[in-house]
Amino acid sequence: MAKYIIKRILQSILVLFGVSVIVFLIMRVFSADPAPVVLGEHATEESMKAWRDSNGLSDPILVQYLNFLGGALTGNLGTSYYTHTAVTQEIMSRFPATIELALVAIILASLVGIVLGVVSAVHKGTAIDGVSTVFALLGVSMPIYWSGILLIILFAGIWHVLPSGGRVDPLLQPVGGSGLYIIDTLFSGDFEALGNVMQHIILPALALSLYSMAIITRMTRSSMLDTLNEDYVRTARAKGLKEGKVTRHHALRNAMLPVTTVIGLQLGSLLGGAMLTETVFAWPGIGKYTVDCILKSDFPVVQGVVLLIGVIFVIINLVVDIIYAYLDPRIKYSKEEG
Amino acid sequence: MSMSEASLSRRKFVEAFGAVCATGAAAVLATGCGSQRASSTSTTSSSSSSSSLADTITFAQGSDPRGLDPAYVDDGESAKIMSNIYETLLKYDKSSCDIVPGLAKSYEVSDDGLTYTLHLNEGVKFHDGTDFNADAVKKSIERQLEGSRNDDMPYASFVFGTASEGNGVSTVEAKDATTVVITLVAASTPFLKNLAMAMAAPIVSPTALEKYDGNLNENPCGTGPYTFVSWTKSQNVVLKANDSYWDSENAAKTQNIIFKFISENASRVTALNNGEADIIDGIDDSVVDTITGAGNSLYDEDGMNINYMAFNTQSDTFKTPEARIAFAKAVNVDELVTSLYGDYATAATSIMPLWMAPYDSDIEQTAFDKDAAKSELAALGITSVKCITYSNPRPYNTKGGQVLAESIQGYLKDVGVDVTIDTYDWTTYKTKVTTEAYDICFYGWVGDNGDPDNFMNLLADSSLAMNVARFDDADYKALIAKGVATPEGDARNDVYHDCEKMAAEKQPWLLISHAKNLAGYNPKVKDFVIHPTGVVWLWGATKEQ
Repeated sequence: MAKYIIKRILQSILVLFGVSVIVFLIMRVFSADPAPVVLGEHATEESMKAWRDSNGLSDPILVQYLNFLGGALTGNLGTSYYTHTAVTQEIMSRFPATIELALVAIILASLVGIVLGVVSAVHKGTAIDGVSTVFALLGVSMPIYWSGILLIILFAGIWHVLPSGGRVDPLLQPVGGSGLYIIDTLFSGDFEALGNVMQHIILPALALSLYSMAIITRMTRSSMLDTLNEDYVRTARAKGLKEGKVTRHHALRNAMLPVTTVIGLQLGSLLGGAMLTETVFAWPGIGKYTVDCILKSDFPVVQGVVLLIGVIFVIINLVVDIIYAYLDPRIKYSKEEG
Repeated sequence: MSMSEASLSRRKFVEAFGAVCATGAAAVLATGCGSQRASSTSTTSSSSSSSSLADTITFAQGSDPRGLDPAYVDDGESAKIMSNIYETLLKYDKSSCDIVPGLAKSYEVSDDGLTYTLHLNEGVKFHDGTDFNADAVKKSIERQLEGSRNDDMPYASFVFGTASEGNGVSTVEAKDATTVVITLVAASTPFLKNLAMAMAAPIVSPTALEKYDGNLNENPCGTGPYTFVSWTKSQNVVLKANDSYWDSENAAKTQNIIFKFISENASRVTALNNGEADIIDGIDDSVVDTITGAGNSLYDEDGMNINYMAFNTQSDTFKTPEARIAFAKAVNVDELVTSLYGDYATAATSIMPLWMAPYDSDIEQTAFDKDAAKSELAALGITSVKCITYSNPRPYNTKGGQVLAESIQGYLKDVGVDVTIDTYDWTTYKTKVTTEAYDICFYGWVGDNGDPDNFMNLLADSSLAMNVARFDDADYKALIAKGVATPEGDARNDVYHDCEKMAAEKQPWLLISHAKNLAGYNPKVKDFVIHPTGVVWLWGATKEQ
């Protein structure tokens, strides 16, 4: 097991190195020159050249990359060209919003997706299964900017029952704490603010969860169908166990292995920043911020964010793989033998 | 871990999770719906409890400010917020770019136009309690002069000039506590208007500068009617009324101002219609009906901008005025502007906005004449034209450059000229206009300071990013230099009339339109000012409950 984990960690480091090279090259080779954007309309050729020199953009590309890599390894991702604030500070001021939205969305998606998938598998071929299939199809087919705007129009524009965007009423904003407003307001006992936070998160979390919900539903259904046909399930039934208990304790627990992987990957994807959802709902997370910075050629921020997303993906994959290996000994053995 | 322990912990987890959800749901129910809650919060605190006025006004704009230090920013989103926190030595009149007293109660300009003596108001304090005086003015300006300024001060050279290049501020002297003497290297009439700008010109607290290492981007401290409370990145900036404000006539009437950041136009409109915002800007004509249909109002005033197509006067195709005029005759500008922008832009007959002082309505632009265009272009052998444009909507062209370019392409097709269009995002485009070999390109300008030089100089600027027509005319440049040095008045206006005439005759640009400034607002909000320079003054604004 230890050998397997070490091997996966080494592979992860290689992946992160690849990510750093790719994002660096994409930003430096294909992006617009940031100098005119940063220095504004009244910049002169001389001032732009001086700015490029002072920010290392006139150095050979390899030197620029090594500077970036050296900084990243020591936790220094540089300073935003545009705001002159440390990239880590810019990221950390927005990351809690992304984490909170991703967690609420994945919890929503997992709860609904697993229940729908199980019900659909148990009642295979019935009307319930049909409804679940249509729901899953809609979930993966609807673009989020469409479903998000639809939710805003309905709940904020027409019925006026929920806010159209943002995280919390500015006058109720929790000060300090973890930056996860649900947790912060809950622990501080500020239930007025908690209610306001919940109102704000409902629509973006719902819009964001739809795709993951559909994927989890389909994965749970197919995995359940496989396990429901296994010998040990037949044995459990033959022993006289009630169908509900067979489904929950024997089929579902075994069917959850591939579903766990999917949930892990979906969470990684959501933590990477739900750019469209954050933009549509004015959610102050890292996804929307990254888009803004790409448009402004703010290289240090984009490189920092992409590297961070890479780290998140790698860590989640690693954790899922380790959990998987722990839950299913065959994986561990086969890897060690290999 | 035994099975029973696992079950127990799982049960505990489920119970705890359920409790969180239940608490959240209960809190949601207890606090009612979002929009109602927001307004009730804003009416609970302090000042307005006994009055019929709300104590919070929320202004929704498209994005975060770049920063809140006037020396370090160049964007309109920053300017809107800063204009309520900081003040300038001179101010703009509410509805024009005429200069009125600000932190300086009066000023004199020497006959040679080189020395500006400003007499400051007394009893003014910065938000941190520091006294406002001549030393503070000196420090605020000197950090942006050559030698002290750095590359990240985008408006320092525009407002205070570059002495080594023969323009701008030479020295700033604090003659006594309430008298500042600014000496220029060369006479510059626009300098007075520069002193009223939201960028670079606002006076900042010297104590705060020292405390925050010369950069107040995240810790703004001025003398204005509102003080800074907080900036939650990507969410909002909160300001509160300055209780010690020096000018009772312009003191804040509403206790809290919230600048909210909502990037999507449609989402901003929904926020207004849902009661989450009281004023929104950055909208285009496509959402006007949605705003007014929900019972909200439309703010609709002439803007200070110009939307144009530039001929590359250095290209083989358009190096002569004849070729440029022949091309211009092919385009029915009035029809184009009406079809693209409806009532929310006016066809341009001048480089300057129609309301700006030296505007001359007698100057005629090239008239639409399709037949003449066809024969003249054929005679000149012009059959194809390379065009570059931008994709994004801009303040002067809410439809975006590609839509505009395609409209022009249609007109030229009718006279036998094939226009090929390359489109770039705005960031890339700003570099392309300096490096590409194009025949025509699309651009625009939003005025900085309300001075005619700020518009007319675009055709004399040495920077290719500003002078995209690459127009290089010695007579025109001489007129521009004369205009800068001539004091305000008829003689100066005549100079700019001559510039306009020359631009119309030599046709480096095809003028398209001047866009209106549009904003949506709750009709209960009164007396806010959206200035032609694009900034928003909220200290006089009130909102009925």
